[in-house]
Amino acid sequence: MADRADLLQGTLDLLILKTLVLAPLHGWGISKRLRQLSDDVLEVGQGSLYPALYRLEDKGWIRAEWGTSPEGRRAKFYTLTAHGKRQFAAERSQWRLFSAAVEHILGAT
Amino acid sequence: MPAFMKRIARRTRALLRRDTVNRDLDDEVRLHLELEAEDLARTRRLTPDEARRQALIAFGGVERYKEAHRDARGVRWMDELSGDLRYALRALRRTPVFSLSAMLVLALGIGSGTAVFTAVDAVLVSRLPYPRDDRLVRIYEQNSPTNLFGTSAVDFLAIESQQRSFFAVGAARPSIAAVSVGGEPRRTAVGYATAGFFRALGVSVALGRNVEATDNRWGAPAIAVVTHAFATQNLGGDTTALGRTIHVGGAAYTVVGVMPRGVAGLTGLSAGVWPALQLAPPSRRGPFNLRIIARLTDDATPASAARDLAAISARIFPIWRSSLQDSELRLTPYPLRRVMLGDAPRTLGVLAAAVGLVLLIAVANVASLMLVRAAGRWREVSLRATLGATRGRIARLLVTESVALALAGGLAGIAVGALGLHVLVAIGPHVPRLEEARLDARAVAFALAVALLAGVVVGAYPVLHLLRGRVATLQEGERTVGGTRRATALRAAFVVAEFALALPLLAAAGLLLNSFLRLQRVDPGFDPSHVLTVSVALPTARYRSDTALATYWTRALAEVRRIPGVAGAGLGSAMPPDDPSVDENNFNLIDHPVAPGAAQPVVPWPVVSTDYFLALGVPLLDGRLFGPQDTAGAPPVVLVSRSWARHYFPDGTAVGRTLISGGCTSCPPTTVVGVVGDVKYAGLGGTADAAYDPMTQGWPTVVDLFVHTNGPPSALLARVRAALRAVEPDVALDDAAPMEDQLHAAVAQPRHITTLILALAVAALLLAAIGIFGLLSYTVSARRREIGVRVALGAPHGMVIGLIVRRGMTHAVVGAAMGLAVAVAATRGMAGALFQVSPTDPLTLGAVTALLLCVALVASWLPARRAAAIDPVEAMRSE
Repeated sequence: MADRADLLQGTLDLLILKTLVLAPLHGWGISKRLRQLSDDVLEVGQGSLYPALYRLEDKGWIRAEWGTSPEGRRAKFYTLTAHGKRQFAAERSQWRLFSAAVEHILGAT
Repeated sequence: MPAFMKRIARRTRALLRRDTVNRDLDDEVRLHLELEAEDLARTRRLTPDEARRQALIAFGGVERYKEAHRDARGVRWMDELSGDLRYALRALRRTPVFSLSAMLVLALGIGSGTAVFTAVDAVLVSRLPYPRDDRLVRIYEQNSPTNLFGTSAVDFLAIESQQRSFFAVGAARPSIAAVSVGGEPRRTAVGYATAGFFRALGVSVALGRNVEATDNRWGAPAIAVVTHAFATQNLGGDTTALGRTIHVGGAAYTVVGVMPRGVAGLTGLSAGVWPALQLAPPSRRGPFNLRIIARLTDDATPASAARDLAAISARIFPIWRSSLQDSELRLTPYPLRRVMLGDAPRTLGVLAAAVGLVLLIAVANVASLMLVRAAGRWREVSLRATLGATRGRIARLLVTESVALALAGGLAGIAVGALGLHVLVAIGPHVPRLEEARLDARAVAFALAVALLAGVVVGAYPVLHLLRGRVATLQEGERTVGGTRRATALRAAFVVAEFALALPLLAAAGLLLNSFLRLQRVDPGFDPSHVLTVSVALPTARYRSDTALATYWTRALAEVRRIPGVAGAGLGSAMPPDDPSVDENNFNLIDHPVAPGAAQPVVPWPVVSTDYFLALGVPLLDGRLFGPQDTAGAPPVVLVSRSWARHYFPDGTAVGRTLISGGCTSCPPTTVVGVVGDVKYAGLGGTADAAYDPMTQGWPTVVDLFVHTNGPPSALLARVRAALRAVEPDVALDDAAPMEDQLHAAVAQPRHITTLILALAVAALLLAAIGIFGLLSYTVSARRREIGVRVALGAPHGMVIGLIVRRGMTHAVVGAAMGLAVAVAATRGMAGALFQVSPTDPLTLGAVTALLLCVALVASWLPARRAAAIDPVEAMRSE
């Protein structure tokens, strides 16, 4: 599985928040979107997706509601809360700072 | 922080609605798998089944994921605990007889413990309802270590003007008076008090004004404060009470203040009306009818106050030497808390010790039951261990079970405790403020704490065993493990302990019962049947002179005697056989005086009419009764009891001897004119020494009327009351009762204590019997095969029975011997509570030991008989 990458610890939360910025999604939708956005590079183990969703809900960054999916099924939809939006912005700039620094180090000769 | 609050709310909801949350989770996972499978089927063209399989693989372990989810929710330990609890409850439900009996035993132990804890908490530990109650003292006159009595106006006025130890000092004179608020007068307890009395206690009126120092001046306008209860019951409410006039003893008082709700009395004096005390300038040292209360200054200690008061005593002694010669007499302060508690600590101590023993026996009993249970469960525990459960996990499971059992017992115990407290308040010892005891949060906490402790203790051994690594392999099976030598020895130790604990309790119960039976056989000195008593209070304001009183009583007694069925009627100032407020007096024999300045003897000294002895059926043994010649101006005379005569004149007659009464050296000597039969006034267990003054030489205002009737006394009650009212409509009557009720009431206290301790002792006896029965039953079933072999080899039934019974009796005898040693040491503390019985009475101790061993014998014989009935063939086959 050389073409797949494991998620860096702590980045899953940021990625979930990102997928929810555009529109509310259900659990499978989130995992699908992550796969699509990363061109199938990132595979989110479902075993960590749902606990992460719960954790985010517990922190009050996302909100869960039961609704009907585009496929016409009863599904639990996750929506970004205002608090979650602020948090996303903060985490994103944090990540950019971090990844730029890492890139900088790795690029040094 | 709202986010934080929301999080807590969410978690709580998740906990409470675990089922819903879990169902949501399931739904979500199912949807995910379905969508994933459909997606796979579409994109990779897989069959639906294969797609579902792939989806499941991609997802990972569904159950593991759920576990991770639960971990994220932080509810895992809760889940496990509730799982353990559910398991424990299921296990307990599977053995309902064991569970219920263990629970019941614990409930009884914890319940009685909780009831007595509440009583002790209310009576001994809680403070008096006065601010800084540790600074309050009550001042007594004292002339020997044991002889304390009240104080006089001379004492109070001297203390008030000379003391340097007190922030405030006040006096109250308790009295029973005819109180009327317009209608028929009622005989009511009143407390005449000075302003300092309230100030010292720190009690202030809720409405109106307090008693002020000016109200206590001789001749000041008569005012009174009343309790909230008196105002609402008699004056139509607290606000309307102010300004009303009430008549106390025929004198008018204006109500100026109402005390706060909840104040029912002060310093144990439950009076509804508190008139301002006005002390006339004293003409002699006595009478000693005041209750002085003082509050120590911050610098003073009880010891320094005692020195201060001793100096005052020394200063006033020479001034009043003519009316009091006892130079030993000292004003002495005692902490008010100690005074008000009286002998409650001893009574409650005996009760607490008794319930403590029952609780210990109960715990030992259940612990021993738990051991048997653990023996039966070893196979299951071993299985769990083999399947990989950690020791900690198994230990938690077992402890959860015993703690759940104990907590259930504790909850039931709280109910038992509430009931027990009712019983205790209703029939328990007469200790102050017991009626204030409530089963509050502290009591519940106590019950649950004891339950928790008991749960850990009774579950401890199986767990310790387990943690020491003695988890048996499956092959060993339950027989070897449950019956390990250690476990059996421990069970035997529990049984021995139960007997050792039960014996002191039985001994205490036996001693109390013995003492009570003796007390009941005491001759009160009078014939209670056919005697009716009525307590009478005249409006004192109109009956100040002896002539007025004599006139009333001559007419009233004549009216009473005219009633058909009345055989005789007499008057007395004390109510036998137990009158806590009986008049007492000191005297000095002229023939055998005590050393100058030494304490003089004090005996009960009622004031009576001649007919008093006739009405009560007390015989005249020597000399004469009072007669018409014993008038106020005539030489003073007394009658004495037979016991008095024997005590002070063992060799000759007492009649004709003279004495100085009440220390009045300036008065003419008093002559003993007759000896009458013994009558008890200080309780049935108290002294029978008594002296009597004739009413014709000084009338008391509060007297009891004693009517001897031909028929049943209660039938004449209404007519006697009517006769007394006919002469004086404002007379206050109360406490009308047949004399037999008085006698019954006199032994109520010891009867109640005896009943309580007896009940606890019976409980202990039963528990010990159950303990030995359980142990032997287990032994019999564990040694079934061995016994079967013995029977098969021809052992006679008697030998098999002897084998088992001997085993049981060994434990019982060892336990009883240990208990006897404890009992002999412990019952000494009961000496003061016993009447004519030595605390180490060999007969009682022997009897209870025999009883205990008999019960043990029966409890051992039952399982032994079962052992003898074992069919050898059956026993061999079952293995």
